[in-house]
Amino acid sequence: MAENGAKATVTLTIDGVEVTVPSGTRVIEAAEHVGVVVPRYCYHPGIPSRPAQCRMCLVEVEGRPKLEPSCTLQAADDMVVNTASDTARTARQSVIEFLLVNHPLDCPICDAAGQCMLQDYAYVTNQLESRVDEPKRIMGRDRISDDILYFADRCVICTRCVRFMRDVAEDDSLIVAQRGDKAYIDTFPGRELDNPFQGNIVDVCPVGALVHEDFVFKARSWDMDATASVCPGCPTGCNVTIDTKENQIVRVKPRHNAAVNSWWMCDYGRNHLVMTNRGVRAEVPLIRDGGGDGDRGDLRPVDWATALDWVAEKIAALGSPGGSAVVSPDASNENLFYVRRLLDRLAVADATFQVEQGETAELPTVPTLKLRADRAANVAGAGIFGGRRVDALRNGAAADGSAGGGSAGRALVVLDDLLEGAPDDFGASAGFFLYVGTRLPGAARNADAVLPIATFAEMDGTFTNFEGRVQRFHQALRPPGLARPGWMVLSRVLARLGDGEAVNDVRTAFERMAAEAPPFAGLTWDGIGLKGAPAAEANR
Amino acid sequence: MSRRIHPAVVGAQPFQLTARETFDGPIFETAEGKHRLEAALSRYPTKQAALLPMLGFVQSVKGWIEPADMVEVAEALDLTPAYVHSIATFYTMYSKHPVGRHFVQVCTNISCHLNRAEEVLRGFLAETGTREGEISEDGEFTVIEAECLGACGFATVVQVNDRYLEDVTPERVPEIVAGLRGSRDGGSEAGDGA
Amino acid sequence: MSFPHRSDLEVTTRLSRHQGEAEARTLDGWRARGGYEALRRSLDMSPAEITEVVKDSGLRGRGGAGFPTGLKWSFMPKDDGKPHYLCCNADESEPGAFKDREVIRWTPHLLIEGCLIASRAIGAEHAYIYVRGEFFEETQVLNAAVVEAYEAGLAGEGILGSSWSCDVTIHAGAGAYIAGEETGLMNSLMGNRAEPWAKPPFPAQAGAFGMPTTVNNVETLAAVPMILENGADWYRQWGSEQSPGTKLWSCSGHLVRPGNYEFALGLPLSDIIFDACGGTPSGKPVKAVIPGGSSTAFLSGDELDCATTYEGLAEAGSALGTASPIVMDEDTDIVAAMRRIAQFYAHESCGQCVQCREGTSWVVRILQRIEAGDGRPSDIDTLYELCEQMTGRTICVLADSVVFPLESSLDKFRADYEALMKPSLVAAG
Repeated sequence: MAENGAKATVTLTIDGVEVTVPSGTRVIEAAEHVGVVVPRYCYHPGIPSRPAQCRMCLVEVEGRPKLEPSCTLQAADDMVVNTASDTARTARQSVIEFLLVNHPLDCPICDAAGQCMLQDYAYVTNQLESRVDEPKRIMGRDRISDDILYFADRCVICTRCVRFMRDVAEDDSLIVAQRGDKAYIDTFPGRELDNPFQGNIVDVCPVGALVHEDFVFKARSWDMDATASVCPGCPTGCNVTIDTKENQIVRVKPRHNAAVNSWWMCDYGRNHLVMTNRGVRAEVPLIRDGGGDGDRGDLRPVDWATALDWVAEKIAALGSPGGSAVVSPDASNENLFYVRRLLDRLAVADATFQVEQGETAELPTVPTLKLRADRAANVAGAGIFGGRRVDALRNGAAADGSAGGGSAGRALVVLDDLLEGAPDDFGASAGFFLYVGTRLPGAARNADAVLPIATFAEMDGTFTNFEGRVQRFHQALRPPGLARPGWMVLSRVLARLGDGEAVNDVRTAFERMAAEAPPFAGLTWDGIGLKGAPAAEANR
Repeated sequence: MSRRIHPAVVGAQPFQLTARETFDGPIFETAEGKHRLEAALSRYPTKQAALLPMLGFVQSVKGWIEPADMVEVAEALDLTPAYVHSIATFYTMYSKHPVGRHFVQVCTNISCHLNRAEEVLRGFLAETGTREGEISEDGEFTVIEAECLGACGFATVVQVNDRYLEDVTPERVPEIVAGLRGSRDGGSEAGDGA
Repeated sequence: MSFPHRSDLEVTTRLSRHQGEAEARTLDGWRARGGYEALRRSLDMSPAEITEVVKDSGLRGRGGAGFPTGLKWSFMPKDDGKPHYLCCNADESEPGAFKDREVIRWTPHLLIEGCLIASRAIGAEHAYIYVRGEFFEETQVLNAAVVEAYEAGLAGEGILGSSWSCDVTIHAGAGAYIAGEETGLMNSLMGNRAEPWAKPPFPAQAGAFGMPTTVNNVETLAAVPMILENGADWYRQWGSEQSPGTKLWSCSGHLVRPGNYEFALGLPLSDIIFDACGGTPSGKPVKAVIPGGSSTAFLSGDELDCATTYEGLAEAGSALGTASPIVMDEDTDIVAAMRRIAQFYAHESCGQCVQCREGTSWVVRILQRIEAGDGRPSDIDTLYELCEQMTGRTICVLADSVVFPLESSLDKFRADYEALMKPSLVAAG
């Protein structure tokens, strides 16, 4: 960050603590190095422009007559900054009082309550009473896009949303209209925002002015649990936070990761993730153990021990029959690893997968963040574990007759593919048809056993993104019924066949995978952390 | 209406002409529109800088600016309509609604306030039978309160379309309104400078 | 009457001497009055020499802040290879001020000449004259003069046969007081909202179109030709050490002879108000004067002996500002006057900074309530506190501009505020 060959770093004092930062660092960021978060509205680390207009981050600098906005003030050698002097605190408190002049104080019905920077700072600055005795200006509510509402009265005109659109998405469709205390955020009259990344304006809004219509009145912030996760919408693997309430996903927000998605995510991913939680699920293990010769009998629900024993017994009896498999590119690395182990045991070499395709979208200023055509989270992982990508699986179920549909005496294993378009007799002729999935599609009707597993949101695990970055996601929801993580289920089948231990926690599953699958060599669950780590390049 | 105008002054034409016209087709395909746009673009290093001059041009012809005009200006200058909307609503001289043939703006700022400007304003509203901002039934008048017009020594200052009336007293208002009613152009009397 | 009045007081009409002469508006008439001689002279001088003369003259910016003009010009980078711009601030909209309008409509060529000399001094290739949109007639006069200047080879390519070129363009504003703030003006010129930006970057580093730019007021630029022609010492024969030269005074409010006057800086303010302008039409004593346009502090009727210099008015607790005294006689309702001033600033706030956006309109609402008889003594404390919170905290000084008159009116006319409150409440307070 050194400018023009100047010193690479500067050393200054912030609230009595000396700190050395790269030259060019702004005081607001330097302060974070010493654990001081200067209150702010218009400043956002992901938005390049810094209008210094909210006047919230004013700090006192020794030797300067006026308070200075720390968001634009460059840290300099020997600068002495005081973020909490009386003057700075009073100034901050007065900003809050000013902001509350026209604010409707509708916190009881505001979706931002509990995570609102106006509410928080009102408490922090002890600005709990207002001297305002005048009628408030009333503006009302507007629609910004098909799924975003704007509550003008709550708006603090920090223009983060406008500047996200202009600076980051390079889409000048969201603007400030009017001026002074009549100013509000607007689109062109009669037109709504139509940008694949527009959902981010809701995330950058420091108050409850911009709200996803989908989320309005849905949950109070303190009733939600937040879980670090990864968006499964495409191989980019944007880091996200999943907010859940009563075992439902109610909201998804991007989580900062400079190497992947910066501060942002696309709207497709956001909506897709919310939808992964919906639909009818496979909840109970099913086995087909009733029929005599010629009559295969019906699938019947059993407990896990019965199901696992029965499946292991069947597999042991089959020996090494060969056969085929269909895996899902949405499955986690760990699930794919254990399926691979099982397929090896069955001597099934051929596993195919298919990837749904969609429109792409790019965020112009963040090259790594792109909605990719592949609509699956773990295409790379599916490839690492020996999957063969095919295009026509869904059209007729059998990419090649011998593999897709299963053939007599041989094994057919499906990992969480919905088998759309498969014929009625899909897998009917297979020697053993094992369906391991989150749902129970019609094409699984001929399965010999169905093992219900958790979705990615219901378990811990990792995905490998488009450039080989291995990223962790965590359990946000309870799985329904008896569904359990795939790696947990499959490790138990394998353990019954004498292959390793039954695994109860993802750390062990991951570390076993890392020990055996070269691309993951050297990675550890803790080492990956919440930001992910690249898989070994040479081994991919 | 096509006139050749020196490019140096192309962006400095009156906003409020008395003749309210409409454009014959797309604005920047008319001879005048083309000339204005080209001339303005030749004076600035960026296209966007021609925005105020072009909005001013539209207003000078039509007397107001409607959303469809903003779209045309936006297209001509490679801007988004939303951006043009932002600019048009920031500046008070762009009328976003039609106004009467005589657009009367009464300054009530401090120097005029000290010289009975509020009475002058009430006088204009009463004489024209309108409420602030609305067009009189005969389409002749719109009266609004204005901020400082920069002629404070001649209070009360009233702007009628593009002309200043100076030293207006409440007593003079009926006569002024009567004069305007009969006149075709905006000002029955010019400012002292004319 | 719009040209400068002659009064018994010694007037020094240098800058305004040709105001009121219709022929001075034409190029021929202007040349007959010695016009464009200073420009011719400047062509034989280096930019540094021109700047030096203006620096030596002590000319200070006439737009309100009074920053030394020569010093401002010297901030412009030299030989940086970038285009430079001059912006002439003709967005005159400070309530009380109407001096630039007279310069433009009577002596447009004087302004153009000043712009060209300044452009030469700062190496500008283009001078933009930003005229407030409401000045239609003035703009027409200026338009005609600019066209004449181009036709006569005084602007554009190869000025006066030299190798130096400079364009002049008139840019009409569209109704925004804040476009008179220098960064707001440049934003407006670029086709943006006239929102001031936080400095740095300073205009001389990255101003209009991201290039080094100087913004000067009309009156400042109009003073440049005569300084160049007659020298710095000549200009310094008037005024004080810190406030040299002559100054246009826009006098308005309760006056017998309101209007524009030009005086050497330094006369007692009372002379201007009583001798030149004839005092109040009612004959009643002066209650208050806002000496420098509505954004300066009130002076009470017994504070008018101060010298009309930058330092003299500062000492008196106000400011010279745009030299636009607004005079109020004894019968003036100070609360209503203050409310009207505050309304203006609330209307003109661009809306970026919270203190200004919310503060100005809150002040208006409090004042309206007091005016309506619903005031409480605590309102005065609140207003004082708002004054403190709105001072020096914002990007530009629009919020400060309402504080100066407000705080001083509370200091000096507290009784007027209290008179509108219920007696029982005042006693209790």
